[in-house]
Amino acid sequence: MTTTDTGALPATRRPPRSAPAAHSPGAARALTRPQRRAGWLLLAPGLAHMTLFVAVPMLLALGFSFFAYDFLQAPRWVGLDNYRTLLHDDRFHTALWNTTLYTVVIVPVGMALALAIALGLDQRIKARGFFRTAYYLPHMTATVAVAVVWLWLLDPNAGALNNFLALFGVARVNWLGSTTWALPAIMALGIWQGLGTKMVIYLAALQTVPAELKEAARLDGANRWQVFRNVTWPAIASGNLFVLITSVIFSFQVFEQVYVMTRGGPINSTLVLTYDIYLNAFTRLRFGYACAEAVVFLLIIGLVTLAVMRFNRGARDA
Amino acid sequence: MRNTTMSAPRLSRAPLYAALTLGAAVMLVPFAWMVLTALKPAAELGKGTWLPERVRWGNFADAFNAAPFDVYFRNSLLMSVGQTLITVVLASAAGYALARTPIRGRGLFFGLTVGMIMVPVYVILIPRFLIVRSIPFFGGNDWLGQGGTGWLDSWWALIVPGALAPLYIFLARQFYVDLPDELADAARLDGLSEIGIWARVMTPLIKPAIITIAVFQFQSSWNDFLWPLLVTRTDEMRPIQLGLAVFSHADIEVQWNYLMAGTALATLPMIALFLVAQRYFVEGMASAGLKG
Repeated sequence: MTTTDTGALPATRRPPRSAPAAHSPGAARALTRPQRRAGWLLLAPGLAHMTLFVAVPMLLALGFSFFAYDFLQAPRWVGLDNYRTLLHDDRFHTALWNTTLYTVVIVPVGMALALAIALGLDQRIKARGFFRTAYYLPHMTATVAVAVVWLWLLDPNAGALNNFLALFGVARVNWLGSTTWALPAIMALGIWQGLGTKMVIYLAALQTVPAELKEAARLDGANRWQVFRNVTWPAIASGNLFVLITSVIFSFQVFEQVYVMTRGGPINSTLVLTYDIYLNAFTRLRFGYACAEAVVFLLIIGLVTLAVMRFNRGARDA
Repeated sequence: MRNTTMSAPRLSRAPLYAALTLGAAVMLVPFAWMVLTALKPAAELGKGTWLPERVRWGNFADAFNAAPFDVYFRNSLLMSVGQTLITVVLASAAGYALARTPIRGRGLFFGLTVGMIMVPVYVILIPRFLIVRSIPFFGGNDWLGQGGTGWLDSWWALIVPGALAPLYIFLARQFYVDLPDELADAARLDGLSEIGIWARVMTPLIKPAIITIAVFQFQSSWNDFLWPLLVTRTDEMRPIQLGLAVFSHADIEVQWNYLMAGTALATLPMIALFLVAQRYFVEGMASAGLKG
């Protein structure tokens, strides 16, 4: 998304300006030879790492998706069979549905809360640093660690939440053991942990709203809501889009809280795509099938991202 | 007139402070619950009270006996420091090469880097695991990478594959691009080598960016879970997040006060890192969001 100035810097900028003999291209190339040699030397390790651990695995994932591969026997070509099986795989459907539901709930709720907090912190208030730290802290800490804490917080017998609710006469709920409440509990953790980054980006975006414009609108008699709707909201559009896209991509990849808190249960009510891919690959040892699922997962994320961008452009042009 | 405009906002401040404080309390409650549980004797766990009647610091020492949290902690530290060092060197080197050296195919490599940024780890996870398992001459493998376990359950697997992310190359490159040419030219006339220009002239100029990259990588290394889950088999190699997950899924009844002591151990370094390097997290995140 930050592809404003791609690598195509004019090569003529490169040779030292003090070089007197850079008239012919050949002479210029000879002069820049040490620079090119150093460039390759510096680029090579990073490029090699990226190739071996990102680019090649990408291609292999696509390749393996056409094979049946269980680790014990050699890979066997099966064409599109993995994808066909996926179409009728109930677990995959459940995982796709749960992941979508998770995303559709936590992205808008998280964004609205984060924007509200950022708007609150954007006022001239005391202890802003403390508030910012408090809201950011869950994002700093590992999802596994906070999921373990939440597991204990939601404990049906001794957990803090049930004890708190008991003060109001609410009966004990087995949050993570209930098909009704397990996914909402996972969502709550996702919203809670994701507020910090969204808030920080909104805070930065709010700095770019021209103060004169807000002042002018206020002088024209606009109330707070009208100022927000007509001045602030349009001014933070690009920050908003960035938060939306990164949140969608991030929430599609929910994994650790599911692993720690529910293991996809009860009765698959919290089974999500990443966890299903993990299970297919590393407990059922269906590597080819898991790769096909991963490819579909990538396509879904890509398409959703494109749709968000397209929709956003349409909304802005309208 | 002036008085009303002065006092009106001040009155409306009260609900704002109340809301922000309530929200902050919700954010912090789990951390308080963690620390308070870590200090409770086992007998008090089932009571559901907040404050420990008797503070038991010994839980931390006992937690080390219940599970090797000290080993997990050491492993996390080694893994995070190793990955951060590698990231800083490789990302700044590659970023510099992409930004400021006249190599052929630079635009292509930059495009490749940008394209790789958004690849979800779950997509490349399985082949990455198979590659790590097939590294030749390691873990009993032959020259074709067959027959053994490769890098699995070794520091190699724990550190190397996750030691660099395309995002960091991209970030470093964006900062090198903005530097003026004159400094490098002057250093060149002084006879400094090209590598010397990168290491001693240009990189110090983007120090804030380098620190940002370092703190982000350290955080993501420290908090990583899935990759260590796949490539480690023994407690000797497990980082702390994995240790927590293993301990919380123990077959015996979970000893929550020990687990919370371990969790505190896993979270406190990140809280400390944020308090020390807050500026880099906040500004790094913000600049990533606003440049887009």
